Amino acid sequence: MPAQLNLSSAELAFSLSSTSRRGRYRLGFDIGGTFTDFVLIETDSGQITSYKTLTTPQDPSKAVIAGLQELLRNAQAAGDDIETAIHGTTLITNALIERKGAKTALITTKGFRDILEMAKEMRYDIYDLLMVLPEPLVPRLLRYEVAERVDGRGRVVEPLAVADLVALKPHLEESDIDAVAVCFLHSFTNPEHEQQAVAWLKNELPGVSVSVSSEVAPEIREYERMSTTVCNAYVQPLTERYLTRLQRDLVDSGFRKQLYLMLSSGGITTVETAAQFPVRLIESGPAAGVLAAVFYGEKTGVSNLVSFDMGGTTAKMCVIKDGRPIMSDDFEVARVHRFKRGSGLPVRVPTIELIEIGAGGGSIARVDELGLLKIGPESASADPGPACYGQGGVQPTVTDADLLLGYLNPEYFLGGRMSLGRAAAERAVQSKLAEPLGMSLIEAAYGIYQVVNQNMISATRVHVAERGADPRKFTLIAFGGAGPVHAHQIARELKMQGYICPAGAGVASALGFLTAPVAFEFARTHIAHLTQEKLEDLDVIYAELEREGRARLAEAGVPEEQMSFVRKADLRHIGQGHEIVVELPFDQLADVALDDVLRPLFYSEYEQIYGYAHRHLGVEITTCRLTASGLRPQINLEKAETATESLSAAQAIKGERPVYFRELGGFVDTPVYDRYQLRAGMNFAGPAIVEERDSTAVIGPDADVHVDIYTNLLVTLKYE
Amino acid sequence: MTSNIAGDVTDIDPISLEIQWQRLVAIADEIDTAVIRTSFSTIVGESHDFGCAIMDASGAGLTQAQWSPPQFCTMLPRTTRDMLKKFPAAALEEGDVLATNDPWIGSTHLPDYNLVSPVFHKGKLVAFLGTVAHVSDVGGHLGDLEASDMFMEGTRLMPNKFYARGQVVPIVEEFIAANCRVPEMVLGDLHAIVGTHRIGIKRIQEFLDDYRLDDIESLSHAIQGRSERALREAIAALPDGVSEYEITADGYLEPFTLRIRLEIRGSDLYMDFAGSSPQQWHSAINAAFNISYSTAVYPIKCMLAAHIPNNDGLVRPLHITAPEGSIVNCTFPAPVKARAKVIKHIPPLIFGALADLLPDEVIAAAGGIFPFHIVGQDARYGRFAVHMLPHGGLGATQDADGLLPAAYPHNSTVTPTEIIEKQCPIVMTRKAMLTDSGGAGKRRGGPGQEIALRHIGREPIMLTIRPDLMKYPAPGLHGGDAGALGDVFFEGVRLERFVPIQWQPGEEVVLRVPGGGGYGDPLERERADVQADVTSGLVSLEAARDIYGLDVRFDPEELQLEAIRACVENRFAD
Repeated sequence: MPAQLNLSSAELAFSLSSTSRRGRYRLGFDIGGTFTDFVLIETDSGQITSYKTLTTPQDPSKAVIAGLQELLRNAQAAGDDIETAIHGTTLITNALIERKGAKTALITTKGFRDILEMAKEMRYDIYDLLMVLPEPLVPRLLRYEVAERVDGRGRVVEPLAVADLVALKPHLEESDIDAVAVCFLHSFTNPEHEQQAVAWLKNELPGVSVSVSSEVAPEIREYERMSTTVCNAYVQPLTERYLTRLQRDLVDSGFRKQLYLMLSSGGITTVETAAQFPVRLIESGPAAGVLAAVFYGEKTGVSNLVSFDMGGTTAKMCVIKDGRPIMSDDFEVARVHRFKRGSGLPVRVPTIELIEIGAGGGSIARVDELGLLKIGPESASADPGPACYGQGGVQPTVTDADLLLGYLNPEYFLGGRMSLGRAAAERAVQSKLAEPLGMSLIEAAYGIYQVVNQNMISATRVHVAERGADPRKFTLIAFGGAGPVHAHQIARELKMQGYICPAGAGVASALGFLTAPVAFEFARTHIAHLTQEKLEDLDVIYAELEREGRARLAEAGVPEEQMSFVRKADLRHIGQGHEIVVELPFDQLADVALDDVLRPLFYSEYEQIYGYAHRHLGVEITTCRLTASGLRPQINLEKAETATESLSAAQAIKGERPVYFRELGGFVDTPVYDRYQLRAGMNFAGPAIVEERDSTAVIGPDADVHVDIYTNLLVTLKYE
Repeated sequence: MTSNIAGDVTDIDPISLEIQWQRLVAIADEIDTAVIRTSFSTIVGESHDFGCAIMDASGAGLTQAQWSPPQFCTMLPRTTRDMLKKFPAAALEEGDVLATNDPWIGSTHLPDYNLVSPVFHKGKLVAFLGTVAHVSDVGGHLGDLEASDMFMEGTRLMPNKFYARGQVVPIVEEFIAANCRVPEMVLGDLHAIVGTHRIGIKRIQEFLDDYRLDDIESLSHAIQGRSERALREAIAALPDGVSEYEITADGYLEPFTLRIRLEIRGSDLYMDFAGSSPQQWHSAINAAFNISYSTAVYPIKCMLAAHIPNNDGLVRPLHITAPEGSIVNCTFPAPVKARAKVIKHIPPLIFGALADLLPDEVIAAAGGIFPFHIVGQDARYGRFAVHMLPHGGLGATQDADGLLPAAYPHNSTVTPTEIIEKQCPIVMTRKAMLTDSGGAGKRRGGPGQEIALRHIGREPIMLTIRPDLMKYPAPGLHGGDAGALGDVFFEGVRLERFVPIQWQPGEEVVLRVPGGGGYGDPLERERADVQADVTSGLVSLEAARDIYGLDVRFDPEELQLEAIRACVENRFAD
């Protein structure tokens, strides 16, 4: 470890500010399971400095402070030159997965403590008789009941029995509980009893943190709301401790401005709100990645995107329509089977909707009982890794196939920091696949490439279609080490317009942190048939939500004139079981003609997704939603040197190697471009390979590549 | 692979086959999701009581949605082929949708509507899309169990075009609407399904275009051939022999017995229900053959081919027979509405028959399901028809305790209490796991649950309940005890007959959905597991002592506190 780490915080702050050259900066940092990543941008010049260090799981802020110091040194900046810091973390997700949260109790309506465990009474795999269910975060013994009841219309049927709470007190004290989740039936309609219980708890058990369902997730469906509230309670004490510590350490490092936390919804929030609702931070890392895609989309003038991030174990896809990522509040954390829907704990908070597929560089290929080639979700991950890593892996993986097909350069993997063993890859593919399947080595390798691509294509196709979009109008944007290797075929088979490989894909996704606005999502269940007269009621609810939003934004320091509010509603045909989210671009709904404007708006959105609307049926609202946000920060990117007329892309070619393209009948000698020699304005055509340190872009035939002003590769696909 | 096993493997290469097959599964899944998202009834939208399948041009099953109940998807191809007898391929046009709820052609009771759409590609019929969904009402009496023939149970639509060339057929639509209590809801669901078929048809056409295929014949051949071959290999690996098993169950007014003779011969498996009770004319528990057949396929698939997506290749090595006129192969017009009372006993019957041969693959009997149905009208809630499907505990296996209440062998979700209470004037006062309800065993059966409901409206409403296992419990395996019996109490009185109940304001109903069977001798259960069950309240102190033989010389209160401390310490290690 560098000696500077031993400096006391005060000395550190001093040493940082003394070397400053007084720029203005925004800082983003993300604590992942393995690495803590930093990105610092100089606001005016757009100059980016990034840094990566190992995460320190015992005390995560240790890596933050050490890394920050290194980063600032590299950028020649000081802690107090940073105007804003935005933070994302997987600590909360990890606490849920590894079951390292607080000692949590649940207090619920009498007769319903088992809801948390009985869940939806559904099996996530119909044919697996040995199916394992996720264990509830709160065991039965710590799930307490109190007499109280509100009916389906929000009326109190039975008042809250405070005596029941009093009787619980010794139990809660005896078991040394850190956190309590409170979830009563119908509290999303009438939160009175929950509020009473919370008031009592705060008074009687002042040291215990309390999460309440009507604040954490005020939506109908008791199991999902209870689960969300319990997850929140479970991670609240550790989040609070962690954030307090982090903030103190940052102050000690010279940073005294506002620290923001990235939310799963792609907004950012204050430390106080984050500590209150940590469950909203669960997907902060992936959300930042999507925001980076949005940002690159803006810089390259593309607003309909599918972001595609392929790493070692998984691929993540997100649909971005009109510059906005698709949102969902249907999310699961800590799945027993990572890729099986229904095997995790539901968390109902606004989340950028990502699909995750068990398809990464390390995904293992095998022959199944039907004699078919299957890939993943099992992964050789980093240890032992793909066979070609030469670390003892004997199973053929996607990376092995990519190597055999000439997509990867064995001598320039991770910029040459690691060399790949072709012989080991050959052995694995030959013995485990080619022989049992009765095909040649290269056929088997290409089989891996095709099947893994099709797994991603298939999932993306369904996902895009279910959101009422047409992939032909979209552009893929590839991140991650393996993303640009596989982007071409995915984009082509989905008949997309093309794909983008951003410059420095390794840092790219961290940029998302710097582009997030302060934003809060609010939702309130309100079930009613829409009538012209009742539209006024909605205005009242939206006004309330807006008031809340305004207050939250103000707390976070957003000036009034920068606030904006978007109203959305969950709407359905009367009598229907599920809703679609429709944006309502109206200031006063009461002034909007229901039959001429509002209903047709719903029907046409519905038709776009499902092809058929029941126009004779009325419309029902179930949830009012509001997004309150501040301005999106504008960041500049450093512009690259523009190629002069005389400089052709050929000058960036550093060599040539045989690369396999099925469309061209097999291996063809393909030029290899050095990404660092490419200049803005250069154009070339596929097939081509573009190598950079952290990734390789494989450009197939019938594609034109343009290098833009930021040295992003913009690839246009040509179709017959 | 051994070569003496039948089952064709055609020349389609394993990589293309994998890719194209997965694409079909994805299409079925997309349809499935769209059905949930566009449905109107709780029974479809919340309970997932529907299935989607894709069939080839001959009506052979190719794939199903991964979440669809297994029986539906084994029946749909049979239903489709029966419908094709009346509407041969030549009589079908683009945009047609065939429909039937005939119990002998379809999925064996009237509420299940089968919709089948032909898929055309470049003018040629290449496939069928099928969906079967339990609609909210089909007329008939409100009862479930007491009927003397099928005609009392509702109206029957023989195979007909519900849509012709993309347009709804008015007479069929009117017939359906005119003969049920909640026409908007029923038609809403059916039209929504037609909408999902349009999506599915488009997807199949895109799929064929992408691969420049004219049809899916060779793909279908390869899928079924490979699947058949894999299942045959699994069967052939088992020793030849015969096993028999029987289960006696409540029935309704009198108990019935199911008997099976299971024979493994080479790569074929024969299952014969001879010796099972005859069909009954006083209660609606009879199963038409389609559902008995498809339910018998399920346990075999779980044990021998769990990972192969469902298709007709998997039924070819299975030879299932039942005497005509028996309770598992009833004849027209026997009453059939509550056939679940019979068929739910088929999986434990087959697992029982294979328990010695495959001890680590079988599962003890489950507590099943107590469906209830509330229909009525109220000034504040309007007209309502609400279904809820609460489940019992699952059976134990050799290596694990039975799961908590869950759907089995079908797949459905329980309707949330808050959704029910939004729709109708009731308050559920309890929904909790039941102490001592899981059958004792080395592995304990899953606990059942108790549900209590109070009517808070002002008008009487109609309540229909279909309980089971009130006399004969879910049996255990290999020395495991049976689960607890089920119960239904109306205002504190145990019910014996289940005609629709006029439920008056203020009255309370209590359902005790049974637990699953145990596995192995309870005396062999780990002592720590017994103690954990006692402290969590799933097993009583008495049962721990008397059945599990636990030494219980301790103070229960103290034990409880100790357990809380221990559980906190173990679970929340910092």
